[in-house]
Amino acid sequence: MKAQTTQHTRRRLRTAGAVALALGMAGTLPAAAAQDPGREVIDKKCASCHLEDGKLTRIPEMRKSPEGWDMTLVRMGIWHKVELTADERRAVVKYLADRQGLAPSEAAPFRFLTERRPNMQDTPPDDEMAQMCGRCHSYGRVALQRRDEDEWRKLMHTHLGQFPSAEYSALGRDRNWWEIARDKMPGRLAAMYPKNTDAWRDWSRSKHKAADGRWVVAGERPGWGAYSGTMTVTAKGKDHYDVRYELHFGPGNTVRGQGESLVYTGYEWRGSAHLGNEQTQSIFALSEDGARMSGRWFLRNADEIGATFEAVRADKAAKNAVATVTPQMLRAGDTATVTVAGAGLDAKLDLGAGVEVVEWLGKSAEQLKVRVKVAADAAPGVRKLAVGGRGSDKTIAVYRQIDSVRVEPAFGIARVGGGTNPPMTAQFDAVAFLNGADGKPGTDDDVRLGSVPAKWSTEPFDERAKHDEDLKFAGHMEPHGQFLPSFAGPNPNRRGLNNVGNLSVVATVQDGERTLDAKGQLMVTVQRWNTPPLR
Amino acid sequence: MKRLRALNHKAHLIEQAASDGHREEVQLMSSVVGCTTTFDPGWEVDAFGGLASLCQPMEADLYGCTDPCWWPAQLADSLNTARDWTDGKNSALRDWRELQTLFPGD
Repeated sequence: MKAQTTQHTRRRLRTAGAVALALGMAGTLPAAAAQDPGREVIDKKCASCHLEDGKLTRIPEMRKSPEGWDMTLVRMGIWHKVELTADERRAVVKYLADRQGLAPSEAAPFRFLTERRPNMQDTPPDDEMAQMCGRCHSYGRVALQRRDEDEWRKLMHTHLGQFPSAEYSALGRDRNWWEIARDKMPGRLAAMYPKNTDAWRDWSRSKHKAADGRWVVAGERPGWGAYSGTMTVTAKGKDHYDVRYELHFGPGNTVRGQGESLVYTGYEWRGSAHLGNEQTQSIFALSEDGARMSGRWFLRNADEIGATFEAVRADKAAKNAVATVTPQMLRAGDTATVTVAGAGLDAKLDLGAGVEVVEWLGKSAEQLKVRVKVAADAAPGVRKLAVGGRGSDKTIAVYRQIDSVRVEPAFGIARVGGGTNPPMTAQFDAVAFLNGADGKPGTDDDVRLGSVPAKWSTEPFDERAKHDEDLKFAGHMEPHGQFLPSFAGPNPNRRGLNNVGNLSVVATVQDGERTLDAKGQLMVTVQRWNTPPLR
Repeated sequence: MKRLRALNHKAHLIEQAASDGHREEVQLMSSVVGCTTTFDPGWEVDAFGGLASLCQPMEADLYGCTDPCWWPAQLADSLNTARDWTDGKNSALRDWRELQTLFPGD
């Protein structure tokens, strides 16, 4: 009987809430135009549970990234059977991320997670945060949310109720983990990531720059190399754009494409495009002044395969804005062709002492192309490029010889795949370094020169891997450093094993007469079935 | 406890807990349920940064991982989130190809 009474009371409250909503009094969400499709869905579908005394509950009490809000909606669908069409889902994420998002400075430390950069390891601030949060998912997933203490505590209760095994992951066998979760963590998290911040107040009040216009873009796709090109953005609605790309990866390899994008929270660009014959997604951030954009694009069905992205706005206001300079490294004594891509470029280039422009091959506002002579005694190291008398943040390195090579990532993961779960490949890069002032390789003062071509091979990582013949079963290394893992499922040819493997990845680099080797580790491991955008 | 006599400190604590009405709690805490309770093997990389201590092959015990909800960030947890994940796929060893990824596309 008691349960019935409670339900009855709730139903009455919901009815009262619906009236309040109709009168425009509901909730503490910022007031919105009545026709906003996201707010309509919230009022129609979310409010049927999240309403008390005519006010929305829970929803107004937190701020999240677009991916954070999307994951919330998916959870509501799975746990509470909320049914949203794709358009409704997008509209609610847009509405909430715009009004309760993160300021650019709040999201900046964890862009590697938002951009789904592969093989990144985030570092929780201390052991307690690592043990209480980071043993199941990334710490960044926590740090991309903002709540007050009471809301953080509710999140602890959600974990306890929905995922009881959190007790073991939080080391509950050895301590009273729930006291820490309930009594200590909410206060700590609220102090670090509170709902109200100056950064968000200032950002939410400021006028944000639109993304439409012409952009000069550049980046690097591991395995393919550097590219530069253009992106033309045309507005087709509020924060909604048509996009055309033209990317030049090198002679004879130009990739064209088109797609569309939506900008959340005034700066969070999320796009999809056909690039060449590939279906891609883009996750960029517009700079606060609207003059630059940066981020990563990747294959829609394999987010580990992608490219870095940097863009400068090519409008009348652009003045010597550099997107990229290629190549990244010049050998002392050589003659080389150097290309600078950017916007509003003046034909005046300074590459530092000992690097002389001997011939101009091209001069336009968006590209400078020169022949340079690098003096045999030019000082080795990284130098900043200056264009039109203005220093840029782009660098070019001079070297006499490569002192060492590193495999990046030093620790990579690939996953066997099959069925509904495609294999996850791992892309490696060989990166050249100078020893730096201490003359020793592998120390903090090593100078990064850039990616260099390498021959790739794999070896068993340890005796166990050798014994289990991991090399034979785990997969195959492509010539450009991409490891293709094997098929998932138990392998009857391996006693009690599937096709996982623990391998060393070896890069062999030729530097003139010298040969340099470097090793990284590759874990070819099992698939995962839970694949949210923030993991 | 008629034929057993507590000799050490731990046994005395168990005896006391039973007489204080905590018998079920004691029984639950002393039961080993699943590999994670005891071995903490890790899902994709083991505690030693390798693979040798993972549950191998994973498919042989996959439903043991999903039923008590050991790896809800990596797998379906069939306790609360994806209760019907394994419906009609009774053997992970045989039916793993049919298991669906959880996060719906946009």
